[in-house]
Amino acid sequence: MSTSRPRPIGLLTATLALLRKDLLIEWRTRARLNAIIFFALATLLMFSFALGPDTKLLEKNAGGYFWLAILFASVLALGESFRVESENACMDGIRLAPADARAIFLSKALGNTLLLTALGVLLVPVMVALYGVRIVTSVVDLGLILLLGSLALSAPGTVYAAISSNARARDVLLPLLLFPLVIPALLSAAKATTLVLQGDPMRQFDSWAGLLGGFNLIYWGVGFLLFPRIIED
Amino acid sequence: MMTLSTQMLWILAATPGQVGSGRIVGGWGYVWACYGITVAMLVLYAVSLWVRRPKAPTDAKE
Amino acid sequence: MGKFIKWGLPALALVVLAAGWWLGLVWAPPDREMGDVQRIMYVHVPLQWVAMVAMAINFVVAISYLMKASWKLDAAAEASAEIGLVLGTAGMITGAIWGRPTWGVYWSWDPRLTSQAIMLVTYTGYLVLRRFVEDPEKRATWSSVVAIIGAINLPIVWFSVRWWRSLHQVQSTPKTVDPEMTLALRVSAFGMLFLTIWFLVQRYRQALAERQAEVALPDALPSDLAAAGGANSSRVA
Repeated sequence: MSTSRPRPIGLLTATLALLRKDLLIEWRTRARLNAIIFFALATLLMFSFALGPDTKLLEKNAGGYFWLAILFASVLALGESFRVESENACMDGIRLAPADARAIFLSKALGNTLLLTALGVLLVPVMVALYGVRIVTSVVDLGLILLLGSLALSAPGTVYAAISSNARARDVLLPLLLFPLVIPALLSAAKATTLVLQGDPMRQFDSWAGLLGGFNLIYWGVGFLLFPRIIED
Repeated sequence: MMTLSTQMLWILAATPGQVGSGRIVGGWGYVWACYGITVAMLVLYAVSLWVRRPKAPTDAKE
Repeated sequence: MGKFIKWGLPALALVVLAAGWWLGLVWAPPDREMGDVQRIMYVHVPLQWVAMVAMAINFVVAISYLMKASWKLDAAAEASAEIGLVLGTAGMITGAIWGRPTWGVYWSWDPRLTSQAIMLVTYTGYLVLRRFVEDPEKRATWSSVVAIIGAINLPIVWFSVRWWRSLHQVQSTPKTVDPEMTLALRVSAFGMLFLTIWFLVQRYRQALAERQAEVALPDALPSDLAAAGGANSSRVA
């Protein structure tokens, strides 16, 4: 039981230590980042092939395609994030160390957020070039949506990746669980991105960003509360 | 074969007084389809419950 | 009591449901605007109601399981999710058929319809997860977490889709309900409810028997057997 376990170090310290460890592993190999970048680029390219060279159509739907590419890439990234721990039974080692289980959630979810945000930053220029869009309102708005969207995909994604990484057929299970869940996030992020790219005469951006923020609050909270139950043994 | 919607339009066109109210005439085919599908699904589910019924009584242990 | 549930409840359910549908299909007058097509209401609305009841049971049971683990709660969760999925699917199909003559299309991206479609996908995922996890304790805990998160998502989906489609007027059926219609609807709903309760009881018993068989099964690995010191190493009551 987690309550009887001694907790000599604080939640924040443990989170930062675990996050540092994950980022270090990621930096040394860069395998995950490279893989998802190429995957997302290929997805963006595939959308233009699937639709044919209709630039107007691509321009109109650019926000949606951008977020779909990030969503598909996020499934790969999330699945990988727990595969690292299943090698050499690392998860057992972390659990045996007197670290709060919630710190594992926070570190993994923050790590995934950083990864997806980095991916998004790299994809924006590609999207601008490939789909012929331009940023109409402001780059700050786009950055905000990118951050909020990555946070929104990471919190439930981390919970479900922890579950599916221990189940059979994990590659099928993660998208099956995650996709219906992130529909509100995907919808609002794509809508807000479209507003950034095509102008926002009605000032709807704030309400979509607000919806995304609310989604984040709920799922970071729920994940924080429920994650210890998933990895308890 | 005349589909239900064209039949509906024809009836609406034939009776000018009814057009404004927009009342749908006929459509029993849709009704029977709904009840039929529901009954079929419920029967199939009941059969599946019968097939998967516990072999031994549940309170056999302890 | 056992005998009543086995034979009396389904008989009662079928009689009440048949009475309700007879009232709806024959006795009640056609709707002023939708005509006879409106009679779909007596099958569609009860299905949606009992599907909601089943999903609500699933949510409550999932929370209870995380508070106090028991195989009974886990079996109830499995039963309610599966039956909710079956009834909800039937409800959505009948709704789509109803939509064809009234809205002109089978499917519209209206918030209720979209949320329900997402709900069905969510609970399909839930049942698939249950299939893919062998350890009964992990399966019970994880599926409870997934059920809670999935249920929390539904109101968010509803709001976001409503915003998303804000340019379109939300289709709603005019409420010109005669007292005959209300009676037919109520009787049908009770019939469907009794049928659902009977399904739930049967499925619950089956799931519980399955769990007990799983837990009683000796572990395959000899090391586990030695460590557990017996066949039943379960922490769950």
